[in-house]
Amino acid sequence: MKHISRTMNSIGFPIVFSLVLLFMVGELTGQQSSGESKGPQKFSASSIQIEAPDPGNVPLPPEFRVAVYENLVLQIEKTGKFQHVYRSGDKDAANVPDLVTLRTTARAFTEGSQKKREVTTVMGATSLTVNVRITDHAGQSIVDRDIKGKVLMMGENIGATYDFSKKVAKIIRETF
Amino acid sequence: MMRMQNPRIDVSVATNYCRAGEPRIWVHGLFLAVVIASLMLSAVLAHGQAADAPSVAANEALQAQVQLVVGGQSIKNNSKGTLSVVDSSLQLEANGKKISVEASSILDISTDKDSRQDVTGTAHLAAQAIPYGGSRVLSLFSHEIDILTVEFRDGNNAYHGAVFAMPKGKAATFKKQLVALGAKTTVPLAGQEPDKK
Repeated sequence: MKHISRTMNSIGFPIVFSLVLLFMVGELTGQQSSGESKGPQKFSASSIQIEAPDPGNVPLPPEFRVAVYENLVLQIEKTGKFQHVYRSGDKDAANVPDLVTLRTTARAFTEGSQKKREVTTVMGATSLTVNVRITDHAGQSIVDRDIKGKVLMMGENIGATYDFSKKVAKIIRETF
Repeated sequence: MMRMQNPRIDVSVATNYCRAGEPRIWVHGLFLAVVIASLMLSAVLAHGQAADAPSVAANEALQAQVQLVVGGQSIKNNSKGTLSVVDSSLQLEANGKKISVEASSILDISTDKDSRQDVTGTAHLAAQAIPYGGSRVLSLFSHEIDILTVEFRDGNNAYHGAVFAMPKGKAATFKKQLVALGAKTTVPLAGQEPDKK
């Protein structure tokens, strides 16, 4: 029995040791590779101007259009990435040299029903898809993406605009 | 003898157990019924009060108890307050703060309809505890409301928007008065020409 246990020890220890070593090497190389491919290019700007939403060809009700805009302003201010968040038409924005501009265009809108959502839990979702385009002072595109906001379960229909603006704020954090 | 008695005892215990369980089920059922009934009653009463509000306010100057949905600047979203037309401006007072918008600076004013659930807030959260999806029944109780959307520019020409939820039938009155005071609108009231932004 002693002989067997000694043999096991002599074989087992190197196997365990090499496995631990392999794991550590794997972890290190994983960290390095993730470090190399970490995130998209970061941009810097002191100020952003948010233009009024363009409803496009989508029958977006005025309250949703306004809620998209006001929630965007609130959420982008909350990111703390810019010294100033200018509203559309603000005269002070004209003198900012590194100003970036955010434009939104509605792509799709489906107005659901809060009652249906909460009674059935599978029907009545409200969703809106909006194209978000951020350009620098020279007009070069920094971000150009379609973002979807939705309310699937609890909450009022207009909550879809809040969901949308939170997603845009996340993109702002990743980009600036 | 003992063998004969044991089954009798067992049967009686089992019967008693079943009988003892019945009142418990009844008590649970009764409790749930009372909870659901009280929530429904409070919902109906709240709706009744909300429905009474416009008729009282209609006798006074143009004023309504509203909920600011979004766009109050210094006033938090979802605050409840008083919306009124004072001189030539639209005023909202809520949480001890006041914001005012000149009618002439309004780019567009529009009205819409929506519905709000009668059971909201803490009562709605508490209702989630009702088993077997009982809280979903409460979602069926709702009342219609008006939505007033105002888009305007401030002194620095910056664009703003605000959305208010108010008792049914009030939004059109606000729109009519503000348009008369110089506010622009793309969707005119009956008998009015649309304005260009």
